[in-house]
Amino acid sequence: MALPLPPGLTHAEVAFLAEMELVTVVPRQRLESIDLLAGKTPPLRPPHRADLPLWLALLLKKQRRANIVPPPWLHPSSLSALIHRETKEHPTAFSDPPPPPARADPSRPGIAHRQDAYNNSTDTPLSAPFRPSCTADAPAGYLPYHWQEVAEALLAHAGDDVAAAAASSSSSSSSSSAVGEVRGLLRDLVEVRAAKMRSSTAALEGFGGGLMSLRGVGALELAESRAFVLAVVDGVRKIGASVEAARREEEEEAREEEDEGPAGRGESDEEMGI
Amino acid sequence: MDIDDILREVDPTFHAVPQEKRDLQDLTRAWVAERSAPELLPWPANGLFERINDAIKRQIEKVEEMTGDMDPKTNFALIVIQTELERYRYLVRSFLRARLAKIDRHALHYLSTDALRARLSDVELAYATRHQALLHNHYLSSFLSAFPANLQNLNDTAGGMSMIDAPDLETAVFIRLLKDTVVAGRGVDSDADVDGRESDIMILRWSDAKPLVEAGSAELV
Repeated sequence: MALPLPPGLTHAEVAFLAEMELVTVVPRQRLESIDLLAGKTPPLRPPHRADLPLWLALLLKKQRRANIVPPPWLHPSSLSALIHRETKEHPTAFSDPPPPPARADPSRPGIAHRQDAYNNSTDTPLSAPFRPSCTADAPAGYLPYHWQEVAEALLAHAGDDVAAAAASSSSSSSSSSAVGEVRGLLRDLVEVRAAKMRSSTAALEGFGGGLMSLRGVGALELAESRAFVLAVVDGVRKIGASVEAARREEEEEAREEEDEGPAGRGESDEEMGI
Repeated sequence: MDIDDILREVDPTFHAVPQEKRDLQDLTRAWVAERSAPELLPWPANGLFERINDAIKRQIEKVEEMTGDMDPKTNFALIVIQTELERYRYLVRSFLRARLAKIDRHALHYLSTDALRARLSDVELAYATRHQALLHNHYLSSFLSAFPANLQNLNDTAGGMSMIDAPDLETAVFIRLLKDTVVAGRGVDSDADVDGRESDIMILRWSDAKPLVEAGSAELV
């Protein structure tokens, strides 16, 4: 077998993708720019921050060459705001994904542009994991596409940095309890959203419309329920295949009748002309 | 070239996405799409794969040069370069394997028309043709030769039944919209037209998603 995996990304592949997300690091040693396949890395000069892909940031962190600045959405206050929004304000839908990054237009002061929008049509539009949605500049209160994987990786390998960022505002808590707080909030969020994913299968049951939007869903959540959701949608389609064919035929006939209306009249006109 | 283009080139605040990053985005997108789509997608155009392969080759040469000097400072850079190299090679390998798996499964289908053949790269086409010939010869020598001559083909379409197995193009897929666009989906009970917003994630049939993906207004996830 060339590839013994089912269609659709598996958990491991999603985690691999998430490691391409950019995160912000504070270097502890100088490191010259490295010429990588994805372009040169920024030269690291402590204490200047730099944005690096997550896999490289974790490598630097393990060798104690840098500290990672956790993204603002991983802060306890942002997470509790998100939980509030997911449970109270929008109890059925996922919260919105982060807005595309914007930048002020220097030629027209006062006007902002989406940074990677179609500046010119040849440019490839960027999407997760290549959008800077996990850097220190990312907006708080929005969960990026790879939120669960990035949060998990940061907590596992850079727990002290997450704790430092969390504890800086609520000075009372110690570092280990701050990690516990973030972990607890994350677990709540995962559970709230998993319940939504499960209830969306109720909507799948009546999947007659041909479209279903899951705006704001995360990559891991998709990977988890992909097989089930796709099996249900395909099952509904196969069961309803004859119903659908009959409906299409009816619609086709109705359209033909409409078309025939004026055409038929045209013919009769001709006949009358003759 | 427009005056705006010239101005933009000298404007230091304009952030064009560098070529290497665009290639990585394209490769990743192609890989995810190939892993998720029910049928084989066209071979990436505009020399993406050749560029990536050349870059990987150059990088390997550089690693070989760098392993020569044992300076501890370059040592760490070497680890980073090799880690990234492995990540690229994994992407390329997984992409090619996903394509091979699909070609293996429906070889006759992808060889049946010129439009479908055009989706395969030269190497893949050679592989599929040879593999199919070997397989057919094996079947002939083991049992097909005992059949009447008119029943020895593997691509019989007579009698309203096609022997050529094709992928199911109506399979549901997940897509993410890359720009605001109207999404049309066909369903069992009704058809729907929805005004999709950028970064919406939707479930719909691959046959409905295909035009959006090909136009670049959506990507598979």
